[in-house]
Amino acid sequence: MTDLVKESSTQILAREMALTEQSVERRRRIVGLEPDDLARIAGIREVVLAQVDHFASVFFDYLSGIEEGRVLTNNRALTERARELKRSHLIAMVGGDYGRAYAEQRLELAVLYGRVGLELRVFIAAFHRLLRSIGEAVMKSTPQAPLEAFASFMALKKIAFFDIGVIVDAVVFERERVIRQQQDAIRELSTPVLQVRARLLLLPIIGVIDTHRARLITDSLLKAIRANRAKVVVMDVTGVATIDSKVANHLMQTVTAAKLMGASVIVTGLSAEVAQSLVALGIDLTTLNTIGDLQGGMDEAERALGYRVVSMDPRRDGAPLSPG
Amino acid sequence: MSDSVVVPIERETDIVCARQKGRALAAAAGFLSTDQTLLATAISEVARNIVSYAGKGTVTLQTVQEGGRRGLSIVASDNGPGIENVELAMRDGYSTGKSLGLGLPGAKRLMDSFALESVVGVGTKVTMTKWLR
Repeated sequence: MTDLVKESSTQILAREMALTEQSVERRRRIVGLEPDDLARIAGIREVVLAQVDHFASVFFDYLSGIEEGRVLTNNRALTERARELKRSHLIAMVGGDYGRAYAEQRLELAVLYGRVGLELRVFIAAFHRLLRSIGEAVMKSTPQAPLEAFASFMALKKIAFFDIGVIVDAVVFERERVIRQQQDAIRELSTPVLQVRARLLLLPIIGVIDTHRARLITDSLLKAIRANRAKVVVMDVTGVATIDSKVANHLMQTVTAAKLMGASVIVTGLSAEVAQSLVALGIDLTTLNTIGDLQGGMDEAERALGYRVVSMDPRRDGAPLSPG
Repeated sequence: MSDSVVVPIERETDIVCARQKGRALAAAAGFLSTDQTLLATAISEVARNIVSYAGKGTVTLQTVQEGGRRGLSIVASDNGPGIENVELAMRDGYSTGKSLGLGLPGAKRLMDSFALESVVGVGTKVTMTKWLR
């Protein structure tokens, strides 16, 4: 059962990485694999198959010998699985079939390395050790024809670099997946809609507004208006350094949508620079209800909702609260 | 040779990158904060046009010197479909997309000089400069 799940996760990764028969063919061409090489690899197949266990041991002995490698070798269950995969890898390396299925098998090891956090440079060093011992065995097998043996080993090395290519791509892809997920998380977190009082929402916008984020802002605002039965929204753009025509358009559409849902929007915190560039761009924001700063906007919003903020200090009764 | 930066434009995040590089160059050239924002906005407009209409292109930012004055020049070029009617494209409120149609004419107003060359099927090149006051 777990095996089935593992199978499919590798297949999903292969699909996401667009590891098709075509792209694998392209990979073979990139490392320069030719029919000639296949014949040479077939010629040393027996040499490799005879010592599969030994070669696999070279790989894992190297890893357990250095600190960076122990993230894998300290985990006995995963090491067993990796050893199994490495053995079938070695058998497949001289198998002559380097299509999509072969590439997909490489992914499973890559996922395993990624899971324990085995660094690529450590994997590559261990793989190099393994290749070296294969090379030595190949050279020893035909001492009378060293040039032939060397050419055969170089043919096999093309496969090795094909493998490294797939594994590096898979690890990078997984790492970028984390970045993509974090970006999404930051986007979600960076568009909070805060309820300040009953029927009054605050929407602080900070940083860069792109199309995706603008949509998120609109979405979460409209949902919050519905959920809180809000009548007034203060949208603060103090933290937005640049507003171009597209972003301005997004903001206006958000305001219009809020209006349709029965909430009026007060925009605060347009900087002098942004105001000037909006005027120069020719964007008419006069339909927006803008107020200089956030404090003024909140005062106005509270007034509109019938609130009156009274100071606890009787001498200042009625005056808006201000520091100092 | 003066400083020059080429920013490849393909995605929306590249627009932000071009804008930030433009702001930094403008600040280094001595532009005041208001002008930095105007420049960043103009860069944003032309870079966005690349993403929206051509898909792929570059924005080149360069500090320039001419006579006794210094400035920042921005070249946005792409190999996209080109603009059929340049005159119309420079008119306020005209857009073949669903935008406000203020990008190109707006960018022109933000800058001191502005030139648009476009050949249908070959590409578009916007060259614009703002001088230090």
